[in-house]
Amino acid sequence: MAKNQRDKDVETTESTGLSRRGFLTRVGVGAVSVAAAKSATAQPTSRAQALPATELSRITLNINGRQRQVLVEPRWTLSHVLREELGLTGTKVGCDRGECGACTILMNGVPRYSCLTLAVEAEGVEIVTVEGLMDRENLGPTQEAFLTEDAFQCGYCTSGQIMAVEGLVRNNPDPSVDDIRTGVSGNLCRCGAYAHIFAAAQRAAAERQGVGGES
Amino acid sequence: MNKPNEARYYVHGVEVPQTPPARAKDQEPWDETRVLGEPLPRVDGYERVSGTAVYPADMSLPRMLYGAILRCPHPSAVVTGVDTSGAEGMAGVHAVISAFTPEDDTTRPHDELIRSTLFNTRCRYEGEAVAAVAAESPYIAHDALRAINVEYEVLPFVADERRALEPDAPKVHETGNQVSDTERYERGDVEQGLREADVVLEEEYRCECEIHTPMEPHGCVASWDGDRLTIWESTQGVYNIQTQVAASLGVPLSKVRVVGHYMGGGFGSKLQAGRYTLTAALLAKQTARPVKLTLTREETYLAVGNRPPSNMRLKAGVKRDGTLTALDYSGTGTGGAARAGGTSLLDWLIRDLYLCPNVRTELTDVYVNAGPARPFRAPGHPQCAWALEQMMDALAVAIDMDPVQLRLKNVPTVSQGRNGIPYTTTGLQRCLEEGAREFRWEETKNEIASGDLNGDIRRGVGMGSGLWAGGGGGPPSTAIVKIYSDGSINLNMGASDIGTGTKTVMAMVVAEELGVSHEDIQVEHADTGTTQYATASGGSKTVPTESPAVRAAAIDAREQLFEIAAEEMEVDVSVLSLRDGKVVATGETPREVNVAELQGLRRRGNITGVGYRGPNPSDKAVNPFAAQFCEVEVNIKTGEVNVVRFLGAHDSGRVMNRLTYQNQVFGGITMGIGLGMTEQRLLDVDQTGKMVNKNWHDYKLPTAVDVPADMTCVPIDPHDTECNTTGAKGIGEPATIPTAAVVANAVYHATGVRITDTPIDPTKLVNALAAARGGE
Amino acid sequence: MLPQFNYVRAQSLEEAQQQLSTDGARVCAGGSDLLGCLRDDVFDCSKVVSISSLNQLRGIARTRDGGIRIGSLTPIAEVAASATVQETHAGLSQAASEVASPQLRNQGTIGGNICQKPRCWYYRGEFHCLRKGGTTCYALAGENQYHCILGGYRCYIVHPSDTAPALLALNATVHIAAPSGSRTVPLDEFHVHPRDDPQRETVLQGNEIVTEITLPAPPPGLRSSYRKVRARGSWDFALAGVALALAFNGDQVVSGRIVLSGAAPVPWRSREAENAVIGRRIDAATAREAAAAAMEDATALKRNAYKIPLFKGLVEQQLLAIAGA
Repeated sequence: MAKNQRDKDVETTESTGLSRRGFLTRVGVGAVSVAAAKSATAQPTSRAQALPATELSRITLNINGRQRQVLVEPRWTLSHVLREELGLTGTKVGCDRGECGACTILMNGVPRYSCLTLAVEAEGVEIVTVEGLMDRENLGPTQEAFLTEDAFQCGYCTSGQIMAVEGLVRNNPDPSVDDIRTGVSGNLCRCGAYAHIFAAAQRAAAERQGVGGES
Repeated sequence: MNKPNEARYYVHGVEVPQTPPARAKDQEPWDETRVLGEPLPRVDGYERVSGTAVYPADMSLPRMLYGAILRCPHPSAVVTGVDTSGAEGMAGVHAVISAFTPEDDTTRPHDELIRSTLFNTRCRYEGEAVAAVAAESPYIAHDALRAINVEYEVLPFVADERRALEPDAPKVHETGNQVSDTERYERGDVEQGLREADVVLEEEYRCECEIHTPMEPHGCVASWDGDRLTIWESTQGVYNIQTQVAASLGVPLSKVRVVGHYMGGGFGSKLQAGRYTLTAALLAKQTARPVKLTLTREETYLAVGNRPPSNMRLKAGVKRDGTLTALDYSGTGTGGAARAGGTSLLDWLIRDLYLCPNVRTELTDVYVNAGPARPFRAPGHPQCAWALEQMMDALAVAIDMDPVQLRLKNVPTVSQGRNGIPYTTTGLQRCLEEGAREFRWEETKNEIASGDLNGDIRRGVGMGSGLWAGGGGGPPSTAIVKIYSDGSINLNMGASDIGTGTKTVMAMVVAEELGVSHEDIQVEHADTGTTQYATASGGSKTVPTESPAVRAAAIDAREQLFEIAAEEMEVDVSVLSLRDGKVVATGETPREVNVAELQGLRRRGNITGVGYRGPNPSDKAVNPFAAQFCEVEVNIKTGEVNVVRFLGAHDSGRVMNRLTYQNQVFGGITMGIGLGMTEQRLLDVDQTGKMVNKNWHDYKLPTAVDVPADMTCVPIDPHDTECNTTGAKGIGEPATIPTAAVVANAVYHATGVRITDTPIDPTKLVNALAAARGGE
Repeated sequence: MLPQFNYVRAQSLEEAQQQLSTDGARVCAGGSDLLGCLRDDVFDCSKVVSISSLNQLRGIARTRDGGIRIGSLTPIAEVAASATVQETHAGLSQAASEVASPQLRNQGTIGGNICQKPRCWYYRGEFHCLRKGGTTCYALAGENQYHCILGGYRCYIVHPSDTAPALLALNATVHIAAPSGSRTVPLDEFHVHPRDDPQRETVLQGNEIVTEITLPAPPPGLRSSYRKVRARGSWDFALAGVALALAFNGDQVVSGRIVLSGAAPVPWRSREAENAVIGRRIDAATAREAAAAAMEDATALKRNAYKIPLFKGLVEQQLLAIAGA
């Protein structure tokens, strides 16, 4: 919840923004084990510590409900850390510059580009990747809807599309076709499966509302 | 030159003998199907939506390094020196190679290949490789690239193919800028035909260069075990990669294994090995560690293919009754700095789509200092359709005939471009008629005519048709179907599933023949080490090529199974059939046995059925046909075009899977909207020759809000019993051929303004509309 | 891939300013524009100073006088969705919803949006252009289809923001934390024209931070709108856009502003168009007249002549729409 602390007459808006409560600790490459002592939930300090460009720093990321500690360079993007450091390769990278949406994940419930987000900026945020939609080995409803409607071809943009739709239906339970088109308008599909993606999004919304089984 | 210009680009460079004819006998066309044609979800859908599918870009191997390539920033330059010392000294950098690495460096294998092929010192396009590195992270690899100092002698360039043949144009190659002699085709007497016409129109058209930009960038992982190399490549054809890599490295095919289970789109740009493939292999060799080399998005704009820009002129004659009397056509294009098919198939629709006795075409392919072309979804065809289908529209207006009727008047039954041999089937007439009916073509036109014609928003409808020169498939292909001892099935084929649903369709073919659910079939594919030979998935030929081989393999396996069953059930083979995992014997005393209970099968362990792709019918052409329709709304003050709905009516033979078929149609339309409305490579032709929009922001693919939500797929199945044993023709490419022109025709219908250069966007349309209003 | 940089996430505004006072430091709010620039090597950056923890800079509030205060770190998506904004300043909401893509609206901040670097492909690309300290504006003789038709001087960019034109039309004020204390700058004076300095986009000093943007209470009868025309439906910046904020008395326009986006190196207030409608009733003739007035001083480059009829059509349509004519 975003709050302007300085003024009493602030309105209470429903915030989709990210409020960050993460705190960073820094370790040299050679001192990993020692530095683990400073955990991510350490006391807030009034002064932040600068993370040097050339060293790895320990951060804690909340990914799919689990706290994951990882050593990162300041410049590493969240998509890089998810894929190359943590092996969560369901999140794809198509452009590495925020122009395709293949890397879309949820951050505090809203879709974001993980390729355009520094991992160090993602501390204290609830991160959900496509792997996080699974119930063990079972597909989540949005994934199931994509499967049923054949809402993909090569599949490389698909995780991102699914996360965009997941974010949409979580925030808008009964989206119109235009809502859906706008909702996935930050996700390119070069194969051109958009029409099927729209159908999948409608199905996903219906499933969430529980009307899917009634027809 | 009457030989069909049917460049089999998808097997380019791969010489293979024909496989023996199919062994299975029982291959009559299906009448009714139980599985095929159904809208079934994909057999690998779970992997694709769960995120567990591993694409080459996702690969991770122990001790794996990351490769990266430094590329020439100039369209024309000589590399006079490369100082890699800064990069070599960086922590985490394990190899740096360039044409200037010392020759006595014995740690570096394939020195000559690196020096002469991978890193040519004469760079003829922006993006030619100059050096490469392998490092412990992609970040370090790119740091290393930044630390390499290259000395360039920058040379004059020509980047606009329209200027390439001007006398003072800088020469891309020493031989000059025309790639080869102008390609000419002629039949009948064009001058006579033009004289016979009641109306003759002439127009110039241009299609901008389009870049494939598949979602997964090109790339691979290369790993050596001693002298054996394994490559996981994002490719449309593993055997192409294997052949090219083995030949380049001078090693036997048996030393190179290529795996390509998942790949994130190709559209023709991933039919061949890239220099990056060899680069990864050599970096891996030099470091004795696996190397992943995934191109950056920007590199994919520069160096791994494009649809050439096309400049076309078309003069056409028609009689008042709609009879075409002459088509006189010329086209120029460029494959960039390489001999890469700059005008490949650019005149095929002129030669073949409509009845016309008098046709003349000429094609001129030139070099420019820009990235080499690669085949791009129906090479030449969408561009040719852009010209021809707009011309047909204009002719229809000129003789006051409905454009659907004009096309119906000229539907061919024989392939005129191939000396008049018949098509096995042509559904073009049905595509036009049933497409128009489903679209409510007549009714919509009437509604528009009687609606508001004065507001700022104008409605229009447009249509066009097409065919694809390929799409019939053909040998070679080998497939194996195994029946395990419990009756479950394994399908082994070499073909790649590039997102079209190949695995699913082939599993459905097996399911059709063997009476099991397609989901219960294990599919192994796209691995030169373990799966059967297949040509690359391109040319809309994968289903018509592979499905007969798969069907033959399934039938072969079934026949062997029936031999076992007949003996154990003591009946004649002829009374046996398969259903739900049981062998069923009809007759006076119907009986059934679970396949798993057949002792003969248990003793053998499994049954192996082999199928080969037989030859296509001789002296007949196998081609898919298409007609598409769309409705637009145009804001005549701003030039904004809203595509309201689209319909594709396609004859691609048998519909193997209604869902994946429809997905191809909608995908083709979407890509066609890109060609027609949003996409163009922009080179800084007047100053630096560099590409200014080598990213997905400035190079605009259509997004979800640029395509209509209202799309309709009307499959036309002419029950082709001659083309092959499954009756399927290709759908991937025909689906994108008429689209751009269809949009242009609809915009014309809405506004009276004809846009002859792609893309139709406000930057083009608003000027034309203002000019048409006059006084602005 | 991003080059190396040091990173610090400031815990207070003062600390952020202090961190920004070193050479080569760059402020990072949402980060979408900064990371894009760093990836393309547009400028050097030795230290990224994140202000994303400064939660006091978030939120949208109605002020006592009926205006609106928007914290600079408020995501653009929240501005677009805010009922408060929609209630009195609809044009801003419309502009915010037209920004980039959904994901970028969730990431990008309103403060960052008005401070964006230009999207000129020469500036973003491997060209040492005037704005990057070179001597040439490549757009002048190059691929200039998306460049300016108004206000070009040595550099021919267009300002990329959608929200800035809407905010300017609505007479916004920018609040800035400076080491010497805070200051406010009317948005009219916030952006730097290339005539004054072709290497700067805003009046911000390196260690200054936008803290909030305020909008005055709407005058009686205020109607506002924003529309942009673009080459494709998502991600794209304006080929042409127009923000209107006009106060009506009955069907008469009594005051207001007309601001163009995609036209000039800064959000471009068209006083010519304003003069053509203020004091008048907007009918087809007035709208056409105002649209023509907006383009009176326009000069096309080689490839962007289309912008002149496009702006005329757009302004005309938007004026008629806002008048309900």
